[in-house]
Amino acid sequence: MMSEDIVKLKGTKTGLQISFAPGVTFQAIEKNIKRKLESGSGFFMRGTVVEIAPNLLRHADWERLRVLFRRHGIVFRMSKPSVDKPADSLLEEAAKKKKKAREREVEQMVVVDRTLRGGQEIRTESSVLVCGNVNPGAQIIAGGSIDIRGTCRGLVHAGAFGNSKAFIIADRLMPMQIRIANFIARSPDQPETSDKAERASIKDGQIVIEPIER
Amino acid sequence: MSEVIVITSGKGGVGKTTTTANLGVGLAMRGKKVVLVDTDTGLRNLDLLLGLENRIMYDLIDVTEGRVHFKKALVRHKKYESLFLLPTSQVKDKSAVNPEQLVRLCNDLRQEFDYVLIDCPAGIEQGFQTAIAAADWALVVTMPEISAVRDADKIIGELGRADKENIKLVVNRIRPQMVEKGDMLDMDDINDILSIECIGQIPDDEKVVTSTNRGEPVISLDDSQAGQAYRNVVGRICGEDIPFMTFPKESFFQRLRHALGM
Ligand SMILES: Nc1ncnc2c1ncn2[C@@H]1O[C@H](COP(=O)(O)OP(=O)(O)OP(=O)(O)O)[C@@H](O)[C@H]1O
Ligand SMILES: [Mg+2]
Repeated sequence: MMSEDIVKLKGTKTGLQISFAPGVTFQAIEKNIKRKLESGSGFFMRGTVVEIAPNLLRHADWERLRVLFRRHGIVFRMSKPSVDKPADSLLEEAAKKKKKAREREVEQMVVVDRTLRGGQEIRTESSVLVCGNVNPGAQIIAGGSIDIRGTCRGLVHAGAFGNSKAFIIADRLMPMQIRIANFIARSPDQPETSDKAERASIKDGQIVIEPIER
Repeated sequence: MSEVIVITSGKGGVGKTTTTANLGVGLAMRGKKVVLVDTDTGLRNLDLLLGLENRIMYDLIDVTEGRVHFKKALVRHKKYESLFLLPTSQVKDKSAVNPEQLVRLCNDLRQEFDYVLIDCPAGIEQGFQTAIAAADWALVVTMPEISAVRDADKIIGELGRADKENIKLVVNRIRPQMVEKGDMLDMDDINDILSIECIGQIPDDEKVVTSTNRGEPVISLDDSQAGQAYRNVVGRICGEDIPFMTFPKESFFQRLRHALGM
């Protein structure tokens, strides 16, 4: 079997849908994915969401893949079972769709549970939660808001596709630049440090930074 | 159980080769069997630091291309009997060895040695990927200045991408007076950004240079601060819990003398 066929990926609205050729072992699947991730070909971008149909893998295997993906900054999760049953009524179908869309929005947060180092980048349409630092030379470009449970020294751009309600929070907010929607604020040349968490948002047409309690 | 350790840095010239040579001698002084593998093909100089240049017969490329068995290419140190060098070629380039070849070689070397230390070329290109491929863990060398720390940070990220999660730090060429004046990053600044375990703080010491010229790494000198700091690193690699040295600050008179250029 061609190794390319072992793992199949299909683009969806939210990211990628993954499936496997019938009859291949988990070892082969894992190896194949590992190679794709490590080839550095940009095949999987950091922050990508990869979905898998439920019951395709044993739980332990699923967990292994989740850890593997997470190490590369990729979210791996089950997709909702597809609606192939005939809909009871049009109304119910519409309501379901709405609910699903809402769920998606809530779900759509990219979680990065490590430090983003120089040269690493997260680019996503959703919001981003970083449990770690964002180092100088690292970059986050998010359609939604950005929450950093650590020190932010990199470049952060929230609301990158125009959402000026987006905000940026960090335990220690000392980036080179902050961008929200199409506003830019540069760090002062003599940065002052605050021991409180801070939040940057747009108020009255400019970026303001204020301390917050967490 | 043998360990394969890669010594790497990102930014060039921060002391990878110096560190490799010193740790090699230090481990050998403790009776460990050690081989130093130079992967900086084209720019080799580990042999110089060890004073072994004139004894090289074969090199890494001869071994990986199967022309000779690795045992034939190893050069034994003149003074430390359990220390060996596997030199590289001065005429080939980094593409002459690939990661798989180095992994295979290191697996053979594991059978014979307690420690395999790999001296990595600067940068994150092919030479880097090859050098790290076989390592159980990585030692990142940096200097207390912003650009070197940034490059170290990048390298740590690259190591993570290659699944090398066990990474330790050596900060080289520390100048206590400059740190004190705020002209150099201090250890807190560095740890804050890199957040990996630091196992070495080596002072800037001119004995490093003079000993290099004699082909006798500074770790074997009793009266050198850098030598003591490297001995401490060796102890920590061997699992000992050793506190970090504090560097004596210049006394008023020394400072006065420096100011007067004496
Ligand atoms: N602690 C120190 N004190 C003084 N000089 C030092 C110290 N460490 C290294 N040096 C000097 O710095 C120079 C560069 O060191 P070295 O060759 O070990 O760096 P490297 O990282 O291997 O460089 P490259 O990237 O070119 O391989 C050498 O001249 C060396 O003698
Ligand atoms: Mg070198």
